[in-house]
Amino acid sequence: MAAPEVHHLFHNPIADHSFSADRRTLAIARDTTVELYAKAGNTFKLIDELKGHDKTVTSVDIAPSSGRIVSCSQDRNALVWEPSPQGYKPTLVLLRINRAATFVRWSPSETKFAVGSGDRLIAVCYFEEENDWWVSKHLKKPIRSTITTLAWHPNSVLLAAGSTDAHARVFSSFIKGVDARPEPTAWGERLPFNTVCGEYMNNSAGWIHSVSFSPSGDALAFAAHDSSITVVYPSAPEQPPKAVLTINTQLLPFMSLIWNGEAEIIAAGYDCEAFRFQGGAEGWQLTGAVETKSRPGLGDQREESALNMFKQMDLKGKAKDDTQLKTVHQNTVTMLRPFETSGASVKKFSSTGVDGRVVIWTV
Amino acid sequence: MSIIREHTAATLSDAWRTINIDALDPDSSSNFDVSTLHPPQPEITEADVRQLASQVRQLLRGGDAEGALRSCLEAPVYNAADALAAELALQTVTEVLQSIKASEMTPMLRGIYAAPGGSEGLDVLMKYLYKGMAATSSASGGSAPRTPTRMTPQPTGLSQFSGRPGASAESTGGAMSVLLSWHEKVVEVAGLGCIGRVMTDWRRV
Repeated sequence: MAAPEVHHLFHNPIADHSFSADRRTLAIARDTTVELYAKAGNTFKLIDELKGHDKTVTSVDIAPSSGRIVSCSQDRNALVWEPSPQGYKPTLVLLRINRAATFVRWSPSETKFAVGSGDRLIAVCYFEEENDWWVSKHLKKPIRSTITTLAWHPNSVLLAAGSTDAHARVFSSFIKGVDARPEPTAWGERLPFNTVCGEYMNNSAGWIHSVSFSPSGDALAFAAHDSSITVVYPSAPEQPPKAVLTINTQLLPFMSLIWNGEAEIIAAGYDCEAFRFQGGAEGWQLTGAVETKSRPGLGDQREESALNMFKQMDLKGKAKDDTQLKTVHQNTVTMLRPFETSGASVKKFSSTGVDGRVVIWTV
Repeated sequence: MSIIREHTAATLSDAWRTINIDALDPDSSSNFDVSTLHPPQPEITEADVRQLASQVRQLLRGGDAEGALRSCLEAPVYNAADALAAELALQTVTEVLQSIKASEMTPMLRGIYAAPGGSEGLDVLMKYLYKGMAATSSASGGSAPRTPTRMTPQPTGLSQFSGRPGASAESTGGAMSVLLSWHEKVVEVAGLGCIGRVMTDWRRV
């Protein structure tokens, strides 16, 4: 396995990150700005700062084909940044929420995006040609608490959402005039706006940190604060699911997860590194860490001489320097994203976290 | 005083910040019962707990400590009808824990963890451990007149934990040391995830 590509951008937490389709531009949500980095040789260099929010930016997403960037913030606003020769031009979106916006993602069709919020609703936003602005429709029922995470189904109509009320839900966000009528799936056949296609929770009712549809869209995985991941296989519309599999782990909770094909899930969180889960509708299990701990040049680069040992004991009162974690990330990983894919499988994925590092991993 | 000045004085004050706007929103979490978010748990009465306790004691007398522990963990008392039932359940689990030798702990826990649904079982055990610690510490604190006699270790069961002399003399300290050594062993087997789950879980013993 190739060594991971590590970019230590700064010493601040990264709330969210997103790569452009050509993987040469990187958008980072840092504090109240969205920072744009461009690949220069082997490193990423800051090229632009998108300033428009006046509170912490919570999430950012680049649409792969149009290049539009959407960002949302605790100031209750979402902005769409349109690329133009003079730079990025922001457009305010009418979200109509009175709590922080927490999470935003473009639909695969790029005609809509969804914003989760602390206002117990999801704003599904689309562009209204005649008024020339972005408007939103609210998914409200039966959400009882803050939305923490969202994920789109490949058909751009179904939307999965995780919430602090411990439920992962699948909604229809069908908007007439914007979406084509979707093919019936195992989640539902007729899908008017705000149809609840599924509502799931795990045994101990932990907050949901991350949701994700499998590449085919026929399975849903979510990670919760009870250190578990749960995979749901729906059977048919209005029917109980074929299988709901919960894997409790001995690890700390996972903050983010992505699918690699239909039979592997990669999840990372408070343990500061990514882990693999493998399985299918019959069962899932944790198979190990993505990171190999025996990589050369990690941790043991300091000379282990007697002189050094006594020096350490004199300076710090101990012989070993144990302030470094053995993992590449030195703090919680909060976001995983596929970086390079071929078909349904992920070749490389990127991770960011509280330590200000962007790491690109080869699977 | 002109109307305009009165108006600005009212709007510039910070009084509006103290308005609890959640109380005005019919959908907010302060206006619905949070327990409705979860499926309800069946209520367990004192008689049910007594039945379980006698079953467990029978297993203990027969020398099947693992079976006794398993049957405690398979039937956690989540929704006890009254405080007495909850306390009785805790007492039963503590009795089982105190009767198991230190050397048998880890193999037994590994066995339970490897069995189907075992991770859940150890989570339940962890819940009882924390509850036991809360009970013993508040009892030894002396402020609340709890019933420390309930936690008295069995004279036969504690001898193997005599890491420090005189541990059995002070009953609550002895019970606590049993719970702490179990806690250590459970974390060894079920990991830190187990502690996280106990803190997250809405089902309390």
